[in-house]
Amino acid sequence: MSTFTPYTYFQCPCTDSSPPVRNIGSDSPTSIHSSSSEDEKAFDPRAPRANYSLYPLEHLLYCEDCHQIRCPRCVLDEIVTYYCPNCLFEVPSSTVKSEGTRCTRSCFQCPICIAPLSVSSLEAPPEGLGAEHASQGGPYVLNCPHCSWSSKEIGIQFDKPNGIFTQLSKIKNGGDPVITARERRKDREERSRDSAPGPVTDEDGVQDETVVKLDPNEVLDAESQFSNLKAFYQAQLAEASPANALGFSGGDYGYGSPGALSRIMGLYTGGTYADKKSKAKKGTMREAQNAFEGLKIVAPNSEDALIAKLQNEGWDATSSSLQRDEQSTHTPFISDLRPIAYLLRTKRSKRCKTCRHILSKPEAKIQTTRFRIRLVALNYIPSISIKPLQPLLSTQLQAPLVPMKPTQFLLTFKNPLFESVKVNIATPAQTPGRFASKITILCPQFEVGANTDAWEEALRDGSKGVEREKRRTKAEASEGQLQAEAGKVWERGRNWVSVVVEVIPASLKPSPDFLKTEAQRKLAEEGGEDDRVREDEDVVEIPVFVRVEWEADTGGEDGGLGKEKEGREKRELAYWCVLGVGRIG
Amino acid sequence: MSKKPVKGEYIETDTGNKVSRRSQIIGTTNIILGGKTVIQAEVIIRGDLLRTYPSSSSEGKGNPVAVAIGRYCFFSRGCELRPPGKMYKGYLLFLLPSSSPSYLQHELMVFGSTFSHYPLKIADHVLIGPGTIVEAALIGSHVSIGAGCVIGKFAIIKDYARVLDGTVVPPNMVIPSFSVVGGRPGRVVGEVSEGEVDGFDLREVYRGVGN
Ligand SMILES: [Zn+2]
Ligand SMILES: [Zn+2]
Ligand SMILES: [Zn+2]
Ligand SMILES: [Zn+2]
Repeated sequence: MSTFTPYTYFQCPCTDSSPPVRNIGSDSPTSIHSSSSEDEKAFDPRAPRANYSLYPLEHLLYCEDCHQIRCPRCVLDEIVTYYCPNCLFEVPSSTVKSEGTRCTRSCFQCPICIAPLSVSSLEAPPEGLGAEHASQGGPYVLNCPHCSWSSKEIGIQFDKPNGIFTQLSKIKNGGDPVITARERRKDREERSRDSAPGPVTDEDGVQDETVVKLDPNEVLDAESQFSNLKAFYQAQLAEASPANALGFSGGDYGYGSPGALSRIMGLYTGGTYADKKSKAKKGTMREAQNAFEGLKIVAPNSEDALIAKLQNEGWDATSSSLQRDEQSTHTPFISDLRPIAYLLRTKRSKRCKTCRHILSKPEAKIQTTRFRIRLVALNYIPSISIKPLQPLLSTQLQAPLVPMKPTQFLLTFKNPLFESVKVNIATPAQTPGRFASKITILCPQFEVGANTDAWEEALRDGSKGVEREKRRTKAEASEGQLQAEAGKVWERGRNWVSVVVEVIPASLKPSPDFLKTEAQRKLAEEGGEDDRVREDEDVVEIPVFVRVEWEADTGGEDGGLGKEKEGREKRELAYWCVLGVGRIG
Repeated sequence: MSKKPVKGEYIETDTGNKVSRRSQIIGTTNIILGGKTVIQAEVIIRGDLLRTYPSSSSEGKGNPVAVAIGRYCFFSRGCELRPPGKMYKGYLLFLLPSSSPSYLQHELMVFGSTFSHYPLKIADHVLIGPGTIVEAALIGSHVSIGAGCVIGKFAIIKDYARVLDGTVVPPNMVIPSFSVVGGRPGRVVGEVSEGEVDGFDLREVYRGVGN
């Protein structure tokens, strides 16, 4: 069996307000008897939905205004800075809007294995040549240092070692130039100027280029098709409403303009938004008729080449679904894959969804890792750590739990607040799930002392470990043996308290029918239960309801000036936790 | 265990470094240790892999540095720190004894390619897991690297990054701050959350190490 590290997850209380859990069926062992009223409050860490609300304490924030834990589901992210994770250059948000969310410098990932690609000179200049040869050293390729893929394999080389993004956008796989957006527009303009719809061959134009492009049945690549279609529809829109109420004239303002919006609204509302004139003209809108307008006719034999290639080159030549996911177009073969420009990353601040106060705000600069605001739950609610009561030999891995053998664990609550807190903990008598282990908390109520200043802590730092060790031995000595007493705290430190919880691990063997509880029996009937142990069902997970109460200064933030408020205020925080204590062996 | 004077596992230096007697530190004059760093048994640090390609700026003062390490770093059992190296193309000035006349040095500027190492720099509070091999160019502060990883040549790992156990970080990869990286090859699989930031401090870990 693999090793097991005890863990504690906290449930964000925001899940309470969500609608009740739907009965998902036999897959969730306990949701079935969720209808029975006595159990409805107990939290089941194995319910399929529980995964979405449980977090390690480190992942939670805390809102000082709502006095509540905040998880990734109940905060709002706001982008502070965009940057490339490879070259670490900041990208202004205006550029993100115009150029998209990828790095437009020379940062690429391998289309085969996603490792970063590096630019390297294809050929070293012949020896003994002058400096100018050395500095150029082209042509260049993108190389993967992890899997040895090279852009040479898809027939792509570069003249310069920088500005790869721009260079790549002009080359198709195989090395042919891509018709750029500008060329397309020029082509379209030429078209509309000197030709009526219909096949035209412009003999005296720029020959081989225009001839190819003017084929109305031309097979377009995705980008050309999109650009043609877009141009076509924009032209149609412009014709349909030459000048709308706001004076925009279609064209580049096309879809986003208020005019377009009113037109669309008009479609839905029966024309109250658009005037009659444009309404009458709407009938003249037509669809694309040829490749130039973005029409793509799928020929019955269009996939013959693909099939032939598949037959000739086989499975190895096809791309995996993971590889395809990273590509912007459909890439059935490895030879279709293109280097992946790095997706930009962001620095984000976080707000409380309820009160909109900022909970976390990083410095905007990419190179700094400081936070302006950082309200983490770690600094507000007691952490819980778990260890077996029976002292382990140092570095010995935790042995699996023995079924039916009472095992004691120490739960240590550490208080980060500068006020002492009262803690109440409660568990169900048995863990939820098919294999119910019995749980007893020996001391469900206790007080944890206040945390002290970081400075103070730093000063007494050296002796801290020793101090803790001393208390432990004292506790052991006074008890005479490792015997936990009900209602008593096991150990206590300045801002921490350890209590004992006893677990009687369930047997993983199916219980005989007459011993089964009502719920288990019902479950077995409904789901056609098998008795095999499912994944992680052998882990003992204890749901614990924690309630923390303390008195806090209310006027603290105002600095005590002017009218002081009542002074002290009672605070309470309650939440579910899950303790993963061990695996039943 | 019948050795006469009970010698501890660690030798503590003036600056508080705790260095295992069973570690292999090669080329010590080319290694800088900032202090309070723990070097466990079977750790290998290759200070002998010096830069041979002439550097333009920092020349002639003091010992050349192959590995520079900050404060409160922790190198777990069996990890290895190697300065990265690569083939270098271009004009090469072959290093000659400084006594040799300058005209001769000109003669020996030859075009070709050669192999050179470059310094490995590690900042403060860096944890390297057992059995991990590091050939990075730079590891920032508060970085945690798991067990059995390979950090490829010239990788740059920025502050507050975490590399999960068994990750192969490909050569030249840049790992931005607050990234969680895993897989082979490594990719960013998550972000370090605000609350985890304090967990990267290794002072407590340092204090826990003793003879
Ligand atoms: Zn939440
Ligand atoms: Zn970039
Ligand atoms: Zn690759
Ligand atoms: Zn709030």
